[in-house]
Amino acid sequence: MGLFESSEKFEEVLGGFFRELAENKQIADKLLKSKLIIRFSYTDPDLIIVVDCSGDKLDVRPHDTETKATVEMSMTADVAHKFWFGKVNLTKALTRKEMVAKGPIPKILKLLPAIKPSYAMYPKYLEDNGYSQYNIY
Amino acid sequence: MGGYAGQILYVNLSSGTIEKKPLDMAFARNHIGGLGFGARIYFDLIKKNPDIDALAKNNPFVLMTGPITGFKLDGAARWTIGTKSPLTGFWGDSNIGGFFGARLKFAGYDGIVITGKAENPCYLFINNDTVEIRDAGAYWGKDIYETDRAMVSDLKSETGRSGTVFCIGPAGENLVKYASIINNKRHAAGRAGMGAVWGSKNFKAIYVNGTGKIEAADPKKLDEIKEELKEVYEESIFIDALRASGTPAHIDVGSLAGDVPIKNWQMNEWEEIDDIGPGEIEDKIHAGNRTCYGCSVACKKEAEVKEGPFKMEKGPSPEYETVATFGSMCLNTNIESIAKANDICNRYGMDTITCGATIAFAIECFENGLITESDTDGIRLNWGNAEAIVAMTEKIGKKEGFGAILADGSAAAAEKIGGNAKEYLTTIKRMEAPMHDPRSAHGYALAYAVSPRGACHEASLNFNVEGGSQMIPEIEELSADYEEFSSEERAKLNVACQDYGMFFSCCAIFCNLGAVPLNATQAISIVNAITGFDYTLDEVLQAGRRLWYLKRGLTNLFGARAKDDQVPERLMTELENGPTAGSLPDIDRMLSEFYEIRGMNKDGIPRADVLEKEGLGDLASALNLA
Repeated sequence: MGLFESSEKFEEVLGGFFRELAENKQIADKLLKSKLIIRFSYTDPDLIIVVDCSGDKLDVRPHDTETKATVEMSMTADVAHKFWFGKVNLTKALTRKEMVAKGPIPKILKLLPAIKPSYAMYPKYLEDNGYSQYNIY
Repeated sequence: MGGYAGQILYVNLSSGTIEKKPLDMAFARNHIGGLGFGARIYFDLIKKNPDIDALAKNNPFVLMTGPITGFKLDGAARWTIGTKSPLTGFWGDSNIGGFFGARLKFAGYDGIVITGKAENPCYLFINNDTVEIRDAGAYWGKDIYETDRAMVSDLKSETGRSGTVFCIGPAGENLVKYASIINNKRHAAGRAGMGAVWGSKNFKAIYVNGTGKIEAADPKKLDEIKEELKEVYEESIFIDALRASGTPAHIDVGSLAGDVPIKNWQMNEWEEIDDIGPGEIEDKIHAGNRTCYGCSVACKKEAEVKEGPFKMEKGPSPEYETVATFGSMCLNTNIESIAKANDICNRYGMDTITCGATIAFAIECFENGLITESDTDGIRLNWGNAEAIVAMTEKIGKKEGFGAILADGSAAAAEKIGGNAKEYLTTIKRMEAPMHDPRSAHGYALAYAVSPRGACHEASLNFNVEGGSQMIPEIEELSADYEEFSSEERAKLNVACQDYGMFFSCCAIFCNLGAVPLNATQAISIVNAITGFDYTLDEVLQAGRRLWYLKRGLTNLFGARAKDDQVPERLMTELENGPTAGSLPDIDRMLSEFYEIRGMNKDGIPRADVLEKEGLGDLASALNLA
C-alpha cells in the first residue's frame, strides 16, 4: 500500500499541483516550448494524467486515455510524490525501471531545467492546501 | 584463441632498441588485458628499484589494449596507459577511447612498453611490421592539432593511407604536471599528467597504421550477443541521452541531485546553471557528432564558435567534466568561453579537470586577497570572468608567468601561495576531485579517497553504480537498493565496484559510458566469445581484485599511506542550501570499514597475507611486509 489511500486523493493532490504549475508563468512558458503531450500513468493507486504542452496554455487532464501522447511516463504514485520533492535519483530510477519513459528522450531531458523550480514549490503547495500529512521530507 | 594481436612492443628510447615479444597466453588468461597487463609489466620493471622520479628516464610507460579493443561493438574502443604520475607522485593511469587502440591491434600489437629517454625529440612510427624510432624535430613545439595534421600529411603516402596519431602538445613538452596525451585530436588520456612523462623522455608521438584483422574465437556467438544487445541498447535512456547531448546531459540531471560542484565546491545550487547546460550547448556551440572505433553511441560532440572573443574552429566540444570545471566551478556562464578553454587544453594537451579546478582554486585565492593582479600578470581572476579564465588557461599551457605556478596543479600552487590557500583545495593525493559531489552520494567520498591515482570517479564503478547509471544484477552489492544520503554499506559497495570495475573498464576494457547497459553475463560472454577463454564471474572478479591490490600496492610503494586517503575539508563541509543540504559523508567510518574488508593495516597498506592470497607475494616483498 502506497502513501496515497485512493486514486481520487492522489488526483486531488498531484493533479492540483500540476494545475498550480500550469498557472506559474515561469514554468509553464518553458514547458509550452517543448510542445510535448505527456501522459503520466501511475500505479498504487492508479491514475492517469495528461499534461498537454502543445497549445497556447498548459492543459492538465486527469483520466485522459484518448489523446495520443508524445511521451509516456510510468511510475508508482510514491515515486512520483518523491520526485516532486527532488528526492529521486533520476538516473537510478530510470536504470532500475522505477520510472519508465517512452518517447523522444532528448526532448524529455530538456524539460528538466524547466521543472527544477517546482521542487521548492511542492512542499509549500502541500502545506498551503491542507495536505501536510503528505509532506514527508 | 582470439581477440589478442599476440605481441607486445618493448621500446627503449635510451638505446634506440625495439623488441617484439610474443604475448604469453597464460599471462593473458590470468590478467585479461589493459591495465591487467600494464600494471603487472610496470611493477615487474620497477620492483627491484621503485625509488624513481616520475620524470626520470627510469620511469617506464605502459600502453595496453584489451581483448575486446578493435571489435565493432558499442563501448569497446577503449585502451589504457600507465606510469608513475608527476602530478601525484603515485601510480597513475588513464583510459582512452578513439581509434588508436584498434589500429595498434590491427598492426599486430596488444601493447607498447616504453623505457629510457631519447637524447633528442623522437616519435614511434608503426606501420604493421615496420616499427621505428624517428626524429620528431619537425613536430616538437607544435600543438596537438598541428602535430596530428602534420604527421598524417607527412606519413600517409608512406603507409598507404592515413594512420592515427597519439601525441603530446606544448604542455607535455613543458612538463606541465597534468599534461595529457591525445589521439586523433580529441580522445584524451587526460588525468595524472601522463603527457609530462612523455615530454621528459623527449617522446612526442606514436603514429600507427595497421591493416591486419583481429578475429574473435567464436564469431557466431559474438554475433548472437550483438543481436541480443540491440534491444538492450534501444531501451536504454542513458544511451539515448548520451547520443543526444553527450556527457553534458549530466548538467541537467546532476544538478537536480546536487552532484555538480559550484564555486569551487562551495555551492551545489546555482540559478544560472542552465546557461551552460545541454540546451545552451546545442543552441550556441554544437557543430556535429563523432564517435570512437566501432561504437554506434557517438557520445562525442563537436563545437564551433564562429565569432567573438572566444572564436574557435570546429573541434571537440567540452565534456561534462570540462563544462563544470571551467563553468560552474568558476561561476562562468559563458558557454563559448568554456568551449574555448577546452580548445586550448586540447591544443596544448592538458587535463581539463585539473586545469579548470586549479583555475577555480586560483580565483578563490584572488577573491580572498591571497594573490593580486601583480601575481597574476594583470589578469583579474574574479568569479565568472570568462576572459580571465581563458587567458589563464593559455598561460598554463605555455607555462608562462602565473601560469607556471598553476601548471604544477593546485596542491603545489597552494604551497607557493601560502596563507590559508590550502583551505580551498579539493585534492586527494594531489589530484583535483572530479565534478561529482560526495555530498550527493556518500560512497563517492570513499571512492575518491582510496583511488590509487588520486581523486577520481573512474577509478572504480562506484560513480556508475551509486550514481545510478549502471546496475549489475548478478552481483548483490551492485544491485542493492542503498539508502540515499547515507554512508551505510558504502565500503562494501566500493569494494565490489572496484573488483568488478577493474575487470570491466580496466582489463576487458569496456567503456564506462557506452557499455553501461551491459550486465555481467553479457560482458563476460563478449570477452569469452572474443578470447575463447571460459571466464566465470568469480574468475573475472578475482582478476579485478588482484589488479586493484596491485595498483594500490604501487601507490603504497611510491609512498602513499593512510594520511593520503583523507578527503579535503572543502568537500566535507555541510552545505546549508540546495539538494544536498545537511548531507555529509562519514568518511572516517567508511575508511575504517573499507580497510577492514580490504585487509589493510593502519598505514593503509594491504597486509602480506592478503597480497599473497591474491598471488602478489612479490608485491608484499617489495613493500617489506614479510
